[in-house]
Amino acid sequence: MTTQQLRPIVSVFPIKGKVKTIKQVPLPSVFSAPIRPDVVRFVHTNMAKNNRQAHAVSTTAGEQTSATSWGTGRAVARIPRVKGSGTGRSGQAAFGNMCRGGRMYAPKKVWRKWHRKINTNQKRYAVCSAIAATAVTPLVMSRGHRVNKLPELPLVVSDQLQSLTKTRQAVKFLKFIGAYRDVEKVIRTKKTRVGQGKYRNRRHVLRKGPMVVYARNLGIKKAFRNIPGVETASVYTLNLLKLAPGSQMGRFIIWTESAFKLLEDIYGSWEKPSKFKSGFYLPRPVMVNTDVERIIKSDQVQTVLRNRRPRSRKYGKKIQRADPYEDMSVMLKLNPYYKTKLQKQKELEEKNKEERKEIVDKSRKEYEDWLYFSEEEEEEEEEGSDEDREIEVLSDEN
Amino acid sequence: MSKQVPETIKKQVKRSFNSKEVKKEKNEKRMKLLKEIQTKAFKRAEKYEKEYLEQGQKLVELKQKALQEGSFYREPEPKLAFIIRIRGIVGVPPKPRKILQLLRLRRIYSGVFIRLNKSSLRMLHFIDPYVTWGYPDVETVRALIYKRGHARVNHQRKIIDSNEMIYDKLQKYDIVCMEDLVHEIYTVGKNFKHANSFLWAFKLKPPVGGFSTVKKSFVNKGEHGNREQYINTLVKKMI
Repeated sequence: MTTQQLRPIVSVFPIKGKVKTIKQVPLPSVFSAPIRPDVVRFVHTNMAKNNRQAHAVSTTAGEQTSATSWGTGRAVARIPRVKGSGTGRSGQAAFGNMCRGGRMYAPKKVWRKWHRKINTNQKRYAVCSAIAATAVTPLVMSRGHRVNKLPELPLVVSDQLQSLTKTRQAVKFLKFIGAYRDVEKVIRTKKTRVGQGKYRNRRHVLRKGPMVVYARNLGIKKAFRNIPGVETASVYTLNLLKLAPGSQMGRFIIWTESAFKLLEDIYGSWEKPSKFKSGFYLPRPVMVNTDVERIIKSDQVQTVLRNRRPRSRKYGKKIQRADPYEDMSVMLKLNPYYKTKLQKQKELEEKNKEERKEIVDKSRKEYEDWLYFSEEEEEEEEEGSDEDREIEVLSDEN
Repeated sequence: MSKQVPETIKKQVKRSFNSKEVKKEKNEKRMKLLKEIQTKAFKRAEKYEKEYLEQGQKLVELKQKALQEGSFYREPEPKLAFIIRIRGIVGVPPKPRKILQLLRLRRIYSGVFIRLNKSSLRMLHFIDPYVTWGYPDVETVRALIYKRGHARVNHQRKIIDSNEMIYDKLQKYDIVCMEDLVHEIYTVGKNFKHANSFLWAFKLKPPVGGFSTVKKSFVNKGEHGNREQYINTLVKKMI
């Protein structure tokens, strides 16, 4: 935008002879305006309401009876009923929206808000977007225009077009430039309107064909008037409803050279305001460079990024490990000394065992010695009294 | 047919810090570190075994000495307790509830280590009916940490499956392996707080053989309250 001083070149084509560039003009800044389908949709839906005519239901419709409710006790619904007798109408329900011949629910009034105000800047924004979209071939094609055979989009032709007077000349031009396919489509798809519009003076439905935008009407209006689908417009009064019919951007437009050049003055640029719309500068896009992927992958961004945090696989997964007291390998991973410890314990146990064995052997030997010694004593004391021995026996039992 | 690699991709690969060389280097570094940790673990485990043994022997010695002199040896009061919550969460009054929360005993049969001092003893006094506690010995501490030890890593509860995990978190407190952790907890060292908060609260199983009655205190043939060294047999049943 502010950096975009370079503007691409667009070829100007003649209206007859050979399809080749006779001149080159720079692309007006409007074509670089941000393409905002949301803005266009909003403005279009509201703008389209502005050519509506008021309609309403008659104020007296359904009220022209003196019906009264019969009240309760008569085995009928309590809805007001037509008074009198002698006719089928008497006793019939009246007034309710549910009744036959009653007034509708919320009868339509003429003082319904038919038109919509839209902020001027929004309207201009939408138009700029729509104009920019007419230069984008995919958008024009997706709108349904047959633009395969065109030499270029945006299609700019010499000002001689403005001086055409005959429809025959206009058709010849369209065929010459490759735009007639779009017109053929329109002719081919002319249909009777679906719905009640057909007997309300809106019998036929036509597609939209090319739009011819001129700077000065020197006959061009009348020349293109009768060609089905083709519309003409002055560049000073471009209508969003025609630039983006059905709020779908990308109308196929044929510009005359002077009309094309005037766009720069009419819509201005980001530096210079419009000459015709006071204080209006072209809308600025939110992003200058919308190729986000390229921005991210660019060197300038990548060199400044911090390193990607490594996926900590150490603690990432829910690890179930075996019981270390049952699985030696798990134990050794946690306590590499464990095996040595067990060995040492074993050695210590062995050592203690030996020591204990020694002690036990020793004490057993002592006991046996004592036994042996006491037996000898007993033998010596055989001559002693029986009573004493008995006492001994008793004490042994104890 | 030569493949046309887009320039952006080429640049990306060049810039990528996940390239093979970088990965290899990182892996080597890590392997070296792991080896260091394991050698340290071995040495320290050895050291601690000796220490525990000496501690035990010293105690016996002092007792004998006192006996010989005809006096008594008063053992130092225990510094470490292991608390197990033995009552559920229904119908707990606000004060005990808060204290149980503070001690990380948020569910039944959860256990934590706690340092015993005047403040914590007072806390235990309030929650006595809901917990049982006692003084664990080395083997109990070991069994708990080895078998049921989970670490708090990135606000997550992860089983301790390697010394690297401990090293990453507690290296700055000179705790690099399981035995270090056990030692710090058992001896209530300088960094007990950090070692203890590294550990998630232990989730134990209901005891094999059951409880007698949780409503009574241990002293009254029930289960709750201080049971001193009998906590060790209980933990064996619950681990």
